[in-house]
Amino acid sequence: MTVTPAVVEEEEEAPKKGLSFKFPPEETEMGLIAGIIAAVIVIFTGLPAVIKGVGLLLAFLWGMDSVRKTSKYGLGTGVPSIGVLATGYGVVGALMGLAVAEYGRVGQLYPAVLVGVIIMGIIGYISGIFANGEKFIAMKIPRLERAMMELGMAGTLAILLESSILTGSLSFAAVVDNVMNTGLIALLFIFNCFAMLHPYNACLGPDERRERTRMVAVEISGLICVLLGLAMIGLGTSPYGILDGVSLIVFGVIVWVVFFRMFIKACMDECYATVGTGMIKTIE
Amino acid sequence: MILIVGCVVIGGLLASLGAHLLPVGGAPAAMGTATGIATGTVQIMLGAVLTGLFTAASVATFTDNLLLVSLSGALGATVMICVVMFMANVLYAFGCGVVPVSGRVEVDPITKEPQTAYKTPQTDGHGVPNVVFVSGTMGGFIGGFGGALMYYALLNYAHFSAGTAAVVAFSIFVANAILAAYNIRGTIEGFHDPKFKRLPKALVSSLAVSLLCGIVVVLATIILGGAL
Amino acid sequence: MPIEVVLLFAWMLVIAFLAFIACTFEDLESDMGSQSNPNSQVQLAAQVGQVNRFFNKAISGEPLSNAMYCVTAGTIAWLLLRQFEPLVPGEEWKAAVLAIPIGVLAATMMNVIFATTAHCGRVAGQKRFEQPIYLDVLYGHLMPIGAHAFMTTFCITVIAYIQSNLGTLSGNTALNHPFALPLLGFIWGITVGAIGSSTGDVHYGTEREFQDRPFGEGKRVVYHGKITRYAECGVRTQKDIAGFCAKFGGPCTGLTFGLIILFENWRSMVGMQLGGFLPALPVFTATGDMAAIFAIVLGLLIVAALMVGNLVFVKWVRKKYGPFVGV
Repeated sequence: MTVTPAVVEEEEEAPKKGLSFKFPPEETEMGLIAGIIAAVIVIFTGLPAVIKGVGLLLAFLWGMDSVRKTSKYGLGTGVPSIGVLATGYGVVGALMGLAVAEYGRVGQLYPAVLVGVIIMGIIGYISGIFANGEKFIAMKIPRLERAMMELGMAGTLAILLESSILTGSLSFAAVVDNVMNTGLIALLFIFNCFAMLHPYNACLGPDERRERTRMVAVEISGLICVLLGLAMIGLGTSPYGILDGVSLIVFGVIVWVVFFRMFIKACMDECYATVGTGMIKTIE
Repeated sequence: MILIVGCVVIGGLLASLGAHLLPVGGAPAAMGTATGIATGTVQIMLGAVLTGLFTAASVATFTDNLLLVSLSGALGATVMICVVMFMANVLYAFGCGVVPVSGRVEVDPITKEPQTAYKTPQTDGHGVPNVVFVSGTMGGFIGGFGGALMYYALLNYAHFSAGTAAVVAFSIFVANAILAAYNIRGTIEGFHDPKFKRLPKALVSSLAVSLLCGIVVVLATIILGGAL
Repeated sequence: MPIEVVLLFAWMLVIAFLAFIACTFEDLESDMGSQSNPNSQVQLAAQVGQVNRFFNKAISGEPLSNAMYCVTAGTIAWLLLRQFEPLVPGEEWKAAVLAIPIGVLAATMMNVIFATTAHCGRVAGQKRFEQPIYLDVLYGHLMPIGAHAFMTTFCITVIAYIQSNLGTLSGNTALNHPFALPLLGFIWGITVGAIGSSTGDVHYGTEREFQDRPFGEGKRVVYHGKITRYAECGVRTQKDIAGFCAKFGGPCTGLTFGLIILFENWRSMVGMQLGGFLPALPVFTATGDMAAIFAIVLGLLIVAALMVGNLVFVKWVRKKYGPFVGV
């Protein structure tokens, strides 16, 4: 009655080597690399949008790792809340960074933006102390302070990179005009939430594997790049003209197609069975 | 400048208080196993406050009075929560055939109706009884007031534009509400619930986080010299 | 009453009707894909050994996911409107007729993509419980989920469009809402999700998911995880569930959101009318306060009516149903 499962045993090895792409698997190294590269990219606002897209991808991977580390211990309210927290911190930190950026400005370089990132890291750390401390909320999640600090910084970097993609620069008046007054900040807010919370939430289960989860994060970043590219063309603010927006859309589509296919194949290979149809059983 | 920090801090504290008063049943309530609104703290809090923020924004276009704008936001949130709780009761009563009762108290503190005889055994109550309804109304009112207060302060004292003020107020609100949700750890029935006694700890954390965010906002305003 | 004021109130009613439809379909979409709270039971079912053919769409909670669809639709519609509106001056509704459906289509594609990754990811994470991916469940539900999401997002985007252009549509641009279209989509997306999650999921979770338990009791903790998997037409899938919940849960949820939108917008409008504001909107005069005060008083009356209504309703239910009988 049941169709023979499509899985073949030696497929178990194939997913493992193709999946961890270029990055070292360890979480601290991932965080450091992502943080440094994204921070460098965000300073140079004159770069083409594709490079900023890569920085965005790294920031999301970093954020997703933090969410995954924290949620593994059980938050009590579910995974989405911590993703929304990260983005909330990100918006406040971006505001700070953009405001300070005017002072450190050197032509098209805005190094003072990192002040916002660092301040948000500090606020994240302090809120982590409050959330974990014995006399306060006492969540008793190990290394929660560090995770919340990373979330604050990753969220801020993500919003800053997206604003610089949409506006072409990081001057406050331009960003407010192009991003906040137009309502696009809502798009950035919700997709940042999803890029950080959906990977772990979608792969939740005892057999969850980090490589597979990371593919979802990259795939969502691809979707965001497509949307940002469309918005760029619509707003028309890039110094490189329409080519910038089109190149970002193409980049996003390629990233999405590649990683979506990889993820679905990995899931179908690694689950218990992939059958066309069948009856169900009850295991006592 | 102190006014902005003050408003943000008060808004944050009210957010935390409102989140504790809202009756949240979480996933068990959707199965009729717990009392309260059948969703998560963060979700219902955000929904209520955003409705309030919407009303407050449209009222802020034609009036300058802090109290009126905040009250409009508060009432927007309260109306939403009340309608939701009432219709949830209708669903529980007609769709599932259960009586709204509370699982944490023997007798309803407000109407003095006995609860245990009407409750399904091996559950923690179901539906939205009267004391929970009152608690939810208060929670919605206070939460909406806090959110609209922060929006008003950012709009008129820090001179942000409407979109910016809304998003920044929402972000600070979200941070406070999530810290409160961590404190509640899943489900709470309202002010008569024993978990409500954990409130002061969340208030302290909320105070600290809101204070820091308020200082950040003020610094941003000063640096920009009030230009947006 | 001048025609502009009548038009304003007419647009209010249109918004309320659209809201009714939006939330009905939102609840059905979350039943079709098993999202949010009752989904915890579907997840639990595999873990207690009940292999099932349910679609495990675990895209966070409903408020956030509906916010995502509505913001995507709002953004793309807004971008297209920016391009099209200069082409048809004076008749902007023509631009809207083209822009809004394209935006909603993009949002539906997002929905389908996220639903696929969620289902495949969750089932792959349950390998040790021997839960397979049924390809016919996966392919067969994506279209209904997309269709319901299209209806929800379409209604919400039209509501956001009307609200952000209320003044333009009725002659006085000062009545446009200060928020832009994507932000309004975000706000109503979160609200429609919160309402669908708190009201509609009760019918799915308490009644339909445990259909073979006795009617008239809350579901005990020992039942959790043992959902009904065999049903009227063989093995149950989401398509059986959505049809049932559309009879009661869906319209109830729609009624909730419709009432909320009606009360919110209508309150402000009535306040402004009584404050002598319409059709022209003076800026920050003393009458501005009066309009707000009228709106607040109306709000308080509504809240009081609902509280009294709940008191009466709970008392009636207790009298009619009586104490719990049975084991």
